Amino acid sequence: VVLNYRTVLAIVATSTMTLIAGCGTMAARDGGTAGTLTENTSVDWPNDRLPTTPAAAKIVLKEDGSTLLASLIGKWAAAYHQQFGNVTFSVPAKPGGSSAGISEASTGQIDIGASDAFLSSGNLVQYPNMLNIPLGIAGQEITYNVRDVPASAHIQLNGQVLAAIYEGKITSWNDSQIKALNPGLNLPSEKIVLLHRAPGSGDTFLFTSYLAAQDPDWYKSYGFGSTIDWPAVPGSLVEASNGDMVDTCQTTAGCLAYIGISYSQTAAADQLGEAKLENASGNFELPIGPSMQAAVAYFISATPGNETISMINGPAKNGYPIVNYEYAIVSKKQPNAVKARDLKAFLYWAINTSTAKKFLADDDVQFQPLPVPIARLADDQIARIR
Amino acid sequence: MTGPAPTTSYAGPSTAPAPAPARAPATPVSPVSHAAPHRRVRLSLIGARGTPAALQTLLVGLIIGSLVWGVVAALTASQHSSAAGEVASTSEPLSLAAQQMYQSLSEADVTATSDFLANPGPFSAFNNRQIYDADIANAAADLAKLRSAGAAVSSARLDRDLAAISAGLPVYTGYVQRAQTYSSLHYPLTGGSFIEDASAEMHVVLLPAASDIYAQESTALNSASAQATGLPLIVISILLALAVGYVLIRSQRWLTRRTHRRINPGLLLATVALAISTTWMAIAFVSARSDFGEGIGHGARPLEALAQASIAAQGGQGFEVLSLISNSGSTSFGSDFADAKKGIGPGSGSLLGTATADTPAGAGADAVNAAVRDAQAWYGASAAVFSFNPETTPYSDETKLVTATAPGSAQATFTKLEDDLRAGIRADQAVFTTNAASGSTAFDGLEIAVIIAMLAMVGGSAWGLSRRLAEYR
Repeated sequence: VVLNYRTVLAIVATSTMTLIAGCGTMAARDGGTAGTLTENTSVDWPNDRLPTTPAAAKIVLKEDGSTLLASLIGKWAAAYHQQFGNVTFSVPAKPGGSSAGISEASTGQIDIGASDAFLSSGNLVQYPNMLNIPLGIAGQEITYNVRDVPASAHIQLNGQVLAAIYEGKITSWNDSQIKALNPGLNLPSEKIVLLHRAPGSGDTFLFTSYLAAQDPDWYKSYGFGSTIDWPAVPGSLVEASNGDMVDTCQTTAGCLAYIGISYSQTAAADQLGEAKLENASGNFELPIGPSMQAAVAYFISATPGNETISMINGPAKNGYPIVNYEYAIVSKKQPNAVKARDLKAFLYWAINTSTAKKFLADDDVQFQPLPVPIARLADDQIARIR
Repeated sequence: MTGPAPTTSYAGPSTAPAPAPARAPATPVSPVSHAAPHRRVRLSLIGARGTPAALQTLLVGLIIGSLVWGVVAALTASQHSSAAGEVASTSEPLSLAAQQMYQSLSEADVTATSDFLANPGPFSAFNNRQIYDADIANAAADLAKLRSAGAAVSSARLDRDLAAISAGLPVYTGYVQRAQTYSSLHYPLTGGSFIEDASAEMHVVLLPAASDIYAQESTALNSASAQATGLPLIVISILLALAVGYVLIRSQRWLTRRTHRRINPGLLLATVALAISTTWMAIAFVSARSDFGEGIGHGARPLEALAQASIAAQGGQGFEVLSLISNSGSTSFGSDFADAKKGIGPGSGSLLGTATADTPAGAGADAVNAAVRDAQAWYGASAAVFSFNPETTPYSDETKLVTATAPGSAQATFTKLEDDLRAGIRADQAVFTTNAASGSTAFDGLEIAVIIAMLAMVGGSAWGLSRRLAEYR
């Protein structure tokens, strides 16, 4: 194809005019609320299906669920209320965990359930009106408190070794299997103290998924889930939340724990170490933005319309192996049109506006934004709320 | 047919002048000599001019009566024949296709999920792939059959259900395929999430639609059976026949008194035609009603109970698998399973209770008795599936509860129960099909016979009465 300069000029001119027109349209649509014009125009694509502002009536949206999402939800709630004064959020001081979020949203006790795990087929059969709508990409960090190992050293671990530790087969940090993964690192003869979460945790679902994906024996013996029958390991501790995991680990010599990515800065501040995890390609990665985005990229085209997919231990060469979508669990059948509109407007705002996205990078969140095709699917799901 | 009246039909010595012309009226001579005094007064009012008018009125009345009866009787024969034929050739096969489609879909899902649970890593082997493929092919074939039949029936509800399965089936198989693909690539967790997608699609979209289609086809079967043996039209036909017959006999008697001829051949022909066709119709109806009654009472009714028991059992097994495969949230289908168990029975008012009461002795009864026995065994084996605590029960033990095939396991006992139910369904279907076929043949030829009878009645009445009328010209 030969393009002459007139053609190129025409394309450039048309594109520029289209962009200007698009910005104008969005500005007009969001212009109803003073002080929001600039922020709300920053979306990745034009939206003509979903409301971008809530209804005028005062409303309280109730939320509960994942402790990992709690910090982000709290920030969003404050920002959204600041932007739209008639919408306030009711969020619990101590979130009940992902299973509680799914359960309470399914039974209509709350409007938004926050969950690290997607809805199971069982959940959907019992509550077929429920949707799981991704809000962002999260990861899970394996943290530890091992003396004489500097935080910058990053002990390398994989699913098989972690499974052996959680089965009680490896009990000391200088075990040969751990040393084999960390040549050159001087590991102390220190007893490993295991932490795991109380039943109904989305973090447990993610962590045991990784163990099951990398260790077939663990899969067959213990499986994966938000509640499992943990192997009985003397001295292991049970914690109620991510915060408790960090706090206990900080005060427990030899501790090993799994925590949501949002708590990585807290863990670092508490001088806890952050492990590099082996992925399916044999590379050891840290849960940082590029490795999380790389892990998700492989699954973009495979993600089904209901956005239920496990991305654990994916094939991306430089991908971090424990990544997941963080979900809002909502019912597509709302009690009235006002609540339906307000939920749609909030979810659209949370996923698509720069105001909301800027909170993803906060120290106590550390999420990655959704890839555009995944956000498109999320919009399709949001549009089903009635 | 217009020759001289046969002298042998005369009741007594004629008073007509001899020699009588061939077409001379036979009635004007002293009818009063044989009549009672009050009759004498009334018939005198008819007089010589009144008799032809009365004959004409009678002629018109009998022709109209014969036509009305003929139309109603032909309609009755046609509707019963058509309904009986529809029961045997359409409604029953479609009801069976709907039940089989549900069974195939449910079995496909249980096969795929159980295989995945048993072999999450090497799911690519998909040991029972042939069973799964056969189930999907059978479900697709039954769907095509139902769609083809559904095209002739305008029902928004049926169309919606058929469209849901048509759209959902490829989505379901696509999820299973992706589950297999990711598992074979050693990403069992991603494969597992696609199995969950597939299972949700099956339980939320496909099975409810299939169940609703079965309910509609079952209702259509009952409706067609009721129409084949329903009373209103046949009662109307027989009442009309009695009325027309009464008029024919009264006319015959009146003509006998007026003409001294004992028999009017035309009216006799009409009466005989009416009597034969009505008797035929009554016998056909009684025969069909008896056949259908037997077929429905000892075939369709227990068949439906067993089919519903099979659907409930499939659902119950689905709950077992869902309880185990739902890793991302706490779910329990114990109460759903208990509801299914209560519905299946055995016991008074349960599905197996109905089947036990209605299935005749023989292969069907043997199968139902075996189903009663094996249902109890299945309930016993399944109790553990719904009572395990994920916090204290090793996952491997949980998996075995659903995937183990050893005698006495939930899967083995379910398979036995399902085999019993299928055997019972086959036996009951044979009872129904045989009786329905017999019932539908009872109406063979009746419609034509009724039309011929009607023509004979119209012709006979016209011929018989016009000959008398001609005598007045």
